[in-house]
Parts: sequence; C-alpha cells; structure tokens
Amino acid sequence: MRSIILQTLAVTAINLKSLPQRLWLSLATVITVGLVVTVLLAFLSMANGFRRTIADSGAEDIAVVLRSGAVSEINSVVLRDQARLIEDGPGIARGPDGKPQTSGELYLTVNGIKRSTGTKASLPLRGLGPQGPGLRRGVVITAGRMFNSGSNEIIVGRALGKEFEGFELGQTVTFNNTRWTVVGIFAAAGSVFESEIWADLPVLQSLFKRTGAVQTVRARLTSPAALETLRAYSDNDPRLKLDVMSEAAYFAQQASNTSDLIQKLGWPLAIAMAFGSLAGALNTMYSSVAARATEIATLRAIGFGGFSAFVGTLVESLILAAIGGVIGAAATYLVFDGFTASTMGASFSQVVFNFQLSPRLIGQGLLLALAVGLFGGVFPALRAARMPIVAGLYG
Amino acid sequence: MNDFVLIRKNLFRRKLRAILMMVSILIAFAIFGVLASFERAFNAGQDRATPDRLVVLNKINFTQPLPISYYNRVAAIDGVAQITHFSWFGGYYQEPRNFIAAFAVDPEHWMNLRDSDFVFSPEARAAFIRERTGVLVGARLMEKWGWKVGDHIPISSSIWSQKNGSHAWDFIIVGSFTARIPQADTNVMLMGYDYFNETRSFGKDLISWLALRTTSVAANERVIDTIDGMFANSPWETTTDSEKAFSKAFAAQLGNVALIVELVVGAAFLTILMIVGNTMVMTVRERTSEIGVLKTLGFSGGRILRMVLGESILLALLGGLPGLGVALLMITRVRDSLMSFVPTLSLYPDIAAAAVGLMVVFGIITGLVPALNAMRLNIVTALGRS
Repeated sequence: MRSIILQTLAVTAINLKSLPQRLWLSLATVITVGLVVTVLLAFLSMANGFRRTIADSGAEDIAVVLRSGAVSEINSVVLRDQARLIEDGPGIARGPDGKPQTSGELYLTVNGIKRSTGTKASLPLRGLGPQGPGLRRGVVITAGRMFNSGSNEIIVGRALGKEFEGFELGQTVTFNNTRWTVVGIFAAAGSVFESEIWADLPVLQSLFKRTGAVQTVRARLTSPAALETLRAYSDNDPRLKLDVMSEAAYFAQQASNTSDLIQKLGWPLAIAMAFGSLAGALNTMYSSVAARATEIATLRAIGFGGFSAFVGTLVESLILAAIGGVIGAAATYLVFDGFTASTMGASFSQVVFNFQLSPRLIGQGLLLALAVGLFGGVFPALRAARMPIVAGLYG
Repeated sequence: MNDFVLIRKNLFRRKLRAILMMVSILIAFAIFGVLASFERAFNAGQDRATPDRLVVLNKINFTQPLPISYYNRVAAIDGVAQITHFSWFGGYYQEPRNFIAAFAVDPEHWMNLRDSDFVFSPEARAAFIRERTGVLVGARLMEKWGWKVGDHIPISSSIWSQKNGSHAWDFIIVGSFTARIPQADTNVMLMGYDYFNETRSFGKDLISWLALRTTSVAANERVIDTIDGMFANSPWETTTDSEKAFSKAFAAQLGNVALIVELVVGAAFLTILMIVGNTMVMTVRERTSEIGVLKTLGFSGGRILRMVLGESILLALLGGLPGLGVALLMITRVRDSLMSFVPTLSLYPDIAAAAVGLMVVFGIITGLVPALNAMRLNIVTALGRS
C-alpha cells in the first residue's frame, strides 16, 4: 500500500514537471475552463445582485397592501376609504403618538436619461407621507436635506443619481409646468429604494390628478405573525378587494421573474460551454498521454503499477482545470464584482443593482471547473493505465 | 478516391476527437441561433415600424395618460393621414400570471391603421365595429387558449375596475386576425374604447397614447412640432416620437443586461474557436510525415491547403448545421411559454443564413494556420520529423 502511494506521488510529480513541454495545449485548457467559469459566474453574480437588491429590500414586519390582482405597485389603486379601513386594521404597530404607523403611497414613473447610453429610461417617482421613510430600513439623507411637506421638492436615491442624469443636488426638473427642486440625496441600505425619487404625497396627488386615491399602503406590523390577522380582516370586509402581503414576500415575487430568467439563461449556457471545453480538455489529456507514452512504458517496465499512471494523469487534468477555475473566478471578481447595472424591473421602471459574487457562487464555479477536469482526465488516465508496455517502448 | 473522400477520412480518423469537436461547435451554434433569435424578437417592434408612423405620449412618461380630446385635435392636423388611440388594459385571464396584451381602441380607425400588419376578414371588421362588447383576438392568442369566435370570455384587469366593483369584463369574441408580415404580433386582444370607458370606475375620458401615420415621411418633423407645440404648457404635455425610436428606447430599458448576453455569446464562441483551432493545429502536426508523402506523390501545396481547409470547414458545417437544428427545436419548445414576453420569436431565415456563413468563416479561421503550415511544408523536414 505504502509503495503504491509513493509510486503515485512520484508519477504525479513527473507529470506536473513535464507540463512546460506541453505548454500551449495545457494553456488552452486552462483558458477555456477559465472562460466557462467566468461566463457562469458573470450570470450568477448578476442574478444574485439583482435578487439581493430587491429581495433584501423587503422586511417581514412591514405589510404591503395592493389592489387584488395588481401584482405590482404601478398597477394598483387603493381608494381613500379603503386606505382608511386598512389603516385602522388590527395588527398594525402604533407610534409614540398613538397613531398607526402606515404610509399611503403613489408610485409613478417619470423619464430620465441613462448616463452610460444617453437613452431615455423610466424612473420611479414615489409620493409618500411623513411616516414613509421610517417604514424602510436605514433611510438616511447623505447630502442636502429632506423635502418639506407641501412643497415641490424631491429627494433622490443614491443609486439612481449615479446611473441617471438630471437629478443632481440643486437641479430643477419640470413635470407638467411644475418645477421640482432636488433638495436631498438619500441612501437606504443598498435596497431597491435607492433607485427611486421621493416626493410629498399630497403634492404629487394634486399634480398628477390622483386625489382621492393612493396606489399602495405600507404598514408596520406589531410582529411578522400579525400579517395573518390583517389579511383576515381585509378578506372578511367586502369593501376591501385587496391583497395583503409582507414586504419581503412582495419583493421576493418582484425579483423572482428577472433573476430566474438570468439564472435560467446562465446555467444552461455555462453547461453547454462546459461541454465544449470538455472536448478541449479531453484532447489535451489524450495528447499528454500520447506524448508521455515512452515515459509511462519505461516506468511500467521498471515495476511501477498501472494505478500510479492513472492517478498521475487524472491529477494533471484536475490541476489544469482548477487553475482555470481559479483564474475564471478571479477574473469575474476583478471585472464584474461590484459592477453597476440597471434593468427594467416588474413595474416598467429601472432598478439599479450591483453584481455580487459570493463564496457559494465561487464554489459552484470551481465545482464546474473540477467536473470538466475530472471527465476530461478520467478516460485518458484509463488509457495511460492500460497502455501495453511493449507498444509504449517502441512508440 | 477523390479529395473529398480523403478529407472525410482524415476528419474521422480519430473518431472520438472529431465527435468532440463537432459537439463543441454544435453547442456554439445552438447558443448563437437561440440568442440571435431572441435579440431579433426583442427588437421586432423596431423592424415592424415604418418611418411614417408616430406615437404621441405623455411627456412625463409613457405610463401617464392623455385626455381623449387630444384624439380629434391631433387628427385635424395637416399631415396626419390615419390615427387611432390606445388604452392599456393590463389584462389577464383567470390568473394574474396569465397576462394578456389587451388594448382599448377606436375599432374602425385601429383596423385602418394596422391594415398593413394584419389581415381582417370583412365579417370580423363589421362585427368589431358593430358589437359594443366585442373583442378582436389575434390568431396566436386564440390558439393559446383554444378560444373560438362567438365565445364569451371574462378578462380581468390588474389596473381597472368596473363601477360595480368587479375587476373583470365580459366580452364576446367577434373575430380574429392573422399577421400579414412575419414581424407582426398576433398575440393581442382589442376591445372597443367606448364600452371600456363607460364602465370603468375611474380614469374616465383618458387614453394611454395616440398612434398615427403621416401623409409622408417628409411631413414627420412638421407634424411632431405641431403636436408638441399645440399642447406645450398645458396640464398634459406630449412628446411625439417615431414608433421605431419608441420601440428602441423601450428595448434599451432592459439595459446592460442585453450587452452582457452579447459578451457571453462572444466568449462562448471564442472558447470554442480556441479549442477547435488548437486541435486542428495538433491534428495536422500529427500528419506531418503523411503530408510529406502526399507531396512526394505530386500533390501541390495549393491542393494540400484546400484539403486541410476543406477538413476544417467540413467539421464546422457538420457541427454547426445540427447546432442550428437544436436551436430551432429549442425555440419551438419555448415559443409558447414566452409568447407574452417575446412575441414573434422564431429562427428567421436570415439568421440561419448568417449562421451558415459564420460556420464557413469559423472553418477557415480554425484551419488557416495548419493549412498554411502544411502548404509550406518542406518534404525533407516532413519525412524527417516524426
């Protein structure tokens, strides 16, 4: 047993030391595996970043109330009477002043210009009440100040300001002959709210002729479990045809379509490409075995076993693939991690998000690389182990 | 034994290697076929749009409405040949996830405007104008749900509700229509605006946008300026744009994601190009002494070059054509499930032709270096090298 281990170690060392002789072929394998891993991780980090941006925006103890069947905020209409009934519903937390912590909101879209392409893009403009910002995690004004209620002032999410033109601090924007001034920039813990413009609800209602209705009502629950109480109350009132869900569930559903699409595109593409690079890896390893035919036969003639030849070849293949995988992961990390992109979310408006790599994703990428190395190495390794000694010596 | 037989035998001398190469080329072209078709379908709106078509939208954003009174005012402008208005219904059938692209329009004028895209039977035309609660349903949508002309169907709206509180409208399917040109999407439903407007509980007398055709492309600029000037400084300002530009801007909203997809296809191609190119070099190197023998027998350098190139092109075609077949299969499989997302998804003949062209180019690129090496090979070195 010990001699087998020693033999195997010796043969593996010989294989790896002879790699420079097959530099170009080995390099081709490394690079193709690297490209496959890069492609996979680019897609996965895009889907992951998009999902995290949206899904992490939602809290379990915030209820979102929409018109039933509306699916997204932009479609929903909640009439004033319905909003009142919901705000008086059970399970809603009350502030120090004894008022329920709720926020009726409008969700509109306005045009902006995307910096990178110069094209028109739809941006979300949200009207909210004084309690609105407090119902979201980590909302802080990073520059300027909060808008004054009753005035034509807006504050702009940090991510939106970076990606789109026309909403810098102090600038004025005109919607329907009304000039709005950007008085503040806000951050919201990297959530989707940073892709929004906020304004005072009553001002927006009158300007956009939406008086007497909001689109959604947000409410802080006494506990996540209180959601069921509020939902039952809404379902039992014939005047309320509303969907009540937790903000976390709402955003998870909003994120799922797009990130599913990205993932559904990413994995099949990467697997298809992996098969392509497998062809390359097999080629490399078969020619590696062919090139070392004399060497292997000599070793066998002086008493080395077939097993050591098998392991030596397999390890060579695995190491090449692993190097490729590491290079691919590093390339993705350097090029894509933190890369900012924006795309159309479920409400026909832009969501700004960052590509996010995570250790789990890098692990998946390396696994794919090692799978290529394993399948690409095992058949050539068998050939090496079974090589007839005489044929090898006269090769 | 002609050259082609020799090429074929050479190619399949190492069966496993040849099959591996073919599989990887097949994959590259399957990826290309699917993604190119997707890109085409995304941009179908632009391809369909003729230059004399304009859309009039609310200046704030296309999701904001306009008053119906604009319809007659814009129609009266000199240079406007045909015009209709659209209202987004936000429709779904039974379940919110069964999205239906439904619009409320002025039946007669909508059919006049879209006559170059769709084929309307005289019966359907007459019935849609006459029947207040009638809807006209495109052929693909009819097929999708197995509807027939004369069916009564409830269509819900994710936005609007009726005055009685219901979210669903009952319609009668009074007719269907088919596409006159391949880019036209028949996965749509049209209803009469009057019925929709009178029964909805809010938003009365508002529309989503106007679509018009000008008398000539030359009149476009004047018409655009007249319309936007007419409503400037009013409570509902407009922005008028060509339909093509609007579709393009809408598709561009998907943003960098589309660019990333293109980069990935590029990476996939590059990967497979490298593998195949590398292997071809290796294959030809292995045959050095044979090429020496062929040259000794009197094969000219040019003929050797053609044989090696022929081999790499044959390899590319043998891998690429089945790859296109796979792409076609995949597109046919997903077409119905993605109908609302990318209508008009199909492997257009020109995409297929471009793919075949790419295969030949691919074959030439991968074969060029080894072919030149083989052509220049000196007999003495060839027979000496083992």
